[in-house]
Amino acid sequence: MAEGVRVQYQEELERLEASALGGLDMVSAALERTLEAIEHQDVELAQLVVADDDRIDGRYLEVHQSLIALLATQSPVATDLRLISALLHVLKSIERMGDQCVNICKMIPLSGNEPPADREMVKLILSMGAQTKTLISQAKRAFEGRDVELARDLVRQDDVVDNLNRECFRLALEIGDDADKREWAMTMLLAARAIERIADNAVDIGEQVAFVVTGLFREFEDASHPSQ
Amino acid sequence: MTQDESRAGSGREVREAAATRASIAVRPDEFQHGASGKREKVFEMKGVEVLYSGVSAVKGISMDVHRNDVTALIGPSGCGKSTLLRCLNRMNDLIPDADVQGELLYHGEDLYGPNVDPVQVRKLIGMVFQKPNPFPKSIYDNVAFGPRILGRKDDLDATVERALRGAALWDEVKDRLDSNAFGLSGGQQQRLCIARCIAVEPDTILMDEPCSALDPISTGKIEDLMIELKEEFSIVIVTHNMQQAARVSDRTAFLMVELDADEQNRWGRLVEYDETEKIFTNPSDKRTEDYVSGKVG
Repeated sequence: MAEGVRVQYQEELERLEASALGGLDMVSAALERTLEAIEHQDVELAQLVVADDDRIDGRYLEVHQSLIALLATQSPVATDLRLISALLHVLKSIERMGDQCVNICKMIPLSGNEPPADREMVKLILSMGAQTKTLISQAKRAFEGRDVELARDLVRQDDVVDNLNRECFRLALEIGDDADKREWAMTMLLAARAIERIADNAVDIGEQVAFVVTGLFREFEDASHPSQ
Repeated sequence: MTQDESRAGSGREVREAAATRASIAVRPDEFQHGASGKREKVFEMKGVEVLYSGVSAVKGISMDVHRNDVTALIGPSGCGKSTLLRCLNRMNDLIPDADVQGELLYHGEDLYGPNVDPVQVRKLIGMVFQKPNPFPKSIYDNVAFGPRILGRKDDLDATVERALRGAALWDEVKDRLDSNAFGLSGGQQQRLCIARCIAVEPDTILMDEPCSALDPISTGKIEDLMIELKEEFSIVIVTHNMQQAARVSDRTAFLMVELDADEQNRWGRLVEYDETEKIFTNPSDKRTEDYVSGKVG
């Protein structure tokens, strides 16, 4: 049998995978800036994140279109078909992660120009963000390496984010009677919730890793059933 | 009596007549799925090997073909899929020095048993070839040929119409049944050959690359036809077009060429046989994956 048939198709598929997963780096950078904007109540930086989301959306559209073209012209089957199906899901997750950063950044001007009202709550949100960045990079490595164990471990990492989110909620309840502080805390709760969703999207990407490798799609058992 | 009932009746008649002449026969009770819902097997192959002049063309083939399935045989050139297909209705008997070993059961009976009449076998197991091969006769006579040989001359018009309708050709040819079959397009000729095949009411239809000489529209019609025909018949198809196998078949067998240690001898070997959906979404064997993905040929 002749080896190395359909080389260009294979190269195109590899290029599209790299391009789709590159979207995770863009999301990671957007989240980094979002956290900085929260920490310093930096409205301008927040606006930059909102504007920059067009790049993530552009990546989504470009890779999505190319994957559809491959489906139409190359009739991929077996692992290639599963990979393309998974990449379409991954792209959607990336696009949503970018949107969550935008959601947070649009809220930052609403919480006023004063310094953050409660340092402890900001610290919790920054911890959530840092942990979520870890999840994003781990999801990318798991996909690149087709590493199902690493993908499964995302569930454990996500539990950390969920716990921090609950802690944020507890702090918000105890923030006192000051109306401005309460309003700020509400906004931060929404931000925490958005970060928690980004971490969930990273777990979703992990589930796609398992699909590519095994051909079976199953939600990781704890993903939608938090342990506490 | 409705048309369908009359067809079922005449089919049984033929099969019962066949039973008196040869040990190979399809018993009506075997046509039903068992109460357990277990799939009825048309062919059971155990360690089948086909040799030409003592040299293996395929060997070690063990697989079951189920009733009312379209079963596709795929694999690279020279892997023995056509050889295997031709075994199933003893067409290889026509080749001098061809020999079939191993166990090949048809409805539970040895297809190569000493009392089996190959002509009878080929009546129950029809074949459609790569190139349409109508007889140089009228459309009507092509379809009526088989029934006439079998002495079934009663109601021949109805038999011809049923077969042409069954092959999705009736509406296109009903006004020119006396025209020469060579005047039909390639796709129509192939459907005529299918009509000729089903006119003798076989149990199984073997198709050896039936669409490779046809354009996409004609191919589409034959593929639609296969899906309709499997309601009544079992179909085994050899195809080089993997998308065709994916579109029409229920189960797919992948064969490939195997070489001996010094690469002097080569033969076909069954690599994987499974539900078509499994073969094309998540095959078990890397070699199947590489072949269906078009990465090796």
